[in-house]
Amino acid sequence: MKKKIGLVCALVMMAALLLASCGGGGSSAETEIGSAEVPEAAGGSSGAGAEGAYFSADATAEEVLTAAATEGKVGNWGLGNEYELLALLEKYGLPDKFVSQAFDMDGFDEDSVLLASAMTYNELGLVVNSYEGGYGYGDTVKWIDMNDEGVAMLEDNLFTTREFAEANPETVKAFIYASMKGWEYAAANPEEAAEIVFEYGSSVSPEHQAYMAGEVAKLVDASVPVGTMDEAAMQQTLDLAKQYIKLDDSAAAEALQALTLDDLRDTSYWEEATASADGSFSPEKTDVKIQLKWLPQAQFMGYYVAQDKGYYEEVGLNVEIIPGGGDIGETTAVKNGTVDFGVTWVSNLISANAAGTDLLEVAQVYQKSGLVMVYKIG
Amino acid sequence: MEQSLRSRIGSVALPALFAVLLLFLWQTQLLHRMLGTDTFVLPLPRHIAQILVDNPVKIAENLRATCSVMFSGLAIGCLLGYGISVAAALFPKWGSGGLRVIGAFNAVPIVALAPVVINLTRDASDDVEVRSTIAKTIVVALLCAVAMSIGAYRGLTDLQPFAEDLLKSYAADRKTVFLKLRLPNSVPHIFIALRVIVPTSVISALITEYFAEHVIGIGRMIRDNITLAQYATAWAYIVVACALGIASYAVLMLAQRLICGRRWRI
Repeated sequence: MKKKIGLVCALVMMAALLLASCGGGGSSAETEIGSAEVPEAAGGSSGAGAEGAYFSADATAEEVLTAAATEGKVGNWGLGNEYELLALLEKYGLPDKFVSQAFDMDGFDEDSVLLASAMTYNELGLVVNSYEGGYGYGDTVKWIDMNDEGVAMLEDNLFTTREFAEANPETVKAFIYASMKGWEYAAANPEEAAEIVFEYGSSVSPEHQAYMAGEVAKLVDASVPVGTMDEAAMQQTLDLAKQYIKLDDSAAAEALQALTLDDLRDTSYWEEATASADGSFSPEKTDVKIQLKWLPQAQFMGYYVAQDKGYYEEVGLNVEIIPGGGDIGETTAVKNGTVDFGVTWVSNLISANAAGTDLLEVAQVYQKSGLVMVYKIG
Repeated sequence: MEQSLRSRIGSVALPALFAVLLLFLWQTQLLHRMLGTDTFVLPLPRHIAQILVDNPVKIAENLRATCSVMFSGLAIGCLLGYGISVAAALFPKWGSGGLRVIGAFNAVPIVALAPVVINLTRDASDDVEVRSTIAKTIVVALLCAVAMSIGAYRGLTDLQPFAEDLLKSYAADRKTVFLKLRLPNSVPHIFIALRVIVPTSVISALITEYFAEHVIGIGRMIRDNITLAQYATAWAYIVVACALGIASYAVLMLAQRLICGRRWRI
């Protein structure tokens, strides 16, 4: 009898727990939908007055940054994504403090972050657009662009190790040739590229994928040959990295200050690859893997297009594309030889090389920084 | 007596010898050859020690953050857990069933619990440091409370045969049974539970830091440095985390000897 009562109690409490968790989930979903449909209402309810709850539409970058920093509501993901923000904060004489931002924009939606980091091709689209998964803020948000502020650092590149490149120069050139061909096609046909990526196991909705492809195409910049390693932009990235990458390891910190562009990139592979008219190479290693920095999405569309269109096959390569995500360190994966190529941000490559890797950038896919700081207006 | 002394020396000397051997293999890179790794992923002890020496202020700051979460979570969790077990022992009808449900929390991984709690406490404070600390403490406290309530409940109810009957035959009321029998009987069980809880509190504090909004703590430093390929620095923080775990366990063992010494044998 006693046992039975105990069991009943257990069941009742379990049910209560379930109900409570469902209730929580339900209500959070409601607020999301609510704010997506009528962003003004969300603004009105959170502030005392509907007017001026957020930033004024004609506020300068300095005003927005200062106000958000004073409230301690500037967000970034950290993990090496924060250097441009730190440079921006210092530019306006603000303390180098930011809040750790989650990989969704809920914190921005709920105002726990007033000035949030966003990539133009990903989070910004989610904030602005109202398709599935979007927050639908439309033109009630504005953003600060790192490129306009002069604190841009180069992001998605293509890299390998110096050792691999020296041992397999033809493989490297063949891979660059086919990948850049894929990127060129993708940048010219972002809609088709988005569909291809979606087929290869997309982490986001088709609408968002299409949006992302369009924005990534802008970063790839059709006005220069795809993969160009611009000296000035690379030097600015390295200079900012030396200033804002803080390493506790004194040996690595010293190595960081001593780094030059030649320690980071070699343009010869890309130059020879793009000089090839027909893409005939004799790769030393034909089975190669590339580690992406993040989940499968249009951010990496060039590689998926090259795979899908058979560009890799044409140059005699059998390529496996390995998605990243969370804590997978693409620099470590390439350094350990688990994969042959990787996509990372130049700043991440710089800090890895400071710590003792010999990673080598062989192409720079994004010509501009995709990082913006987004804020609500009104 | 002599024999026990000898065995005691052996129990200290052997592990110490092993540690020295390991450090020797490590520093001379024989270990790297055995494991097929290099000094990038597994930096040399001297390099790690150098980082510890170079950054006392930063390490202390992170250690303080982790310790405050760990110890406050531990204290709150243990009190809460013990309270639950007392309530369950006093009302046995729903007590065992209730504990069964609480036991289910044990099966929830910290990596799943931490983001949920952090999201739920977003509105707890406008200060990100405060609300992060609250969230982290709740996670640690929850996990400690679960282990404590189950352990202590056993101590409160798993009595010597006939002990309860004997007290009842003396016409002892429930309060007396509780104070004279159940409470003392639960003390060794509390320490048994603490042997699980103390390491749990260290691990849950470290892991919850991964997800917290405020970037601080030993666990957070380990994760961030690994992601940035700064393995030597990550190892330095791993050493600190190990030291924290060992030190807190040593304190527990000492407390157990002082409190349980003569009266209770575990």
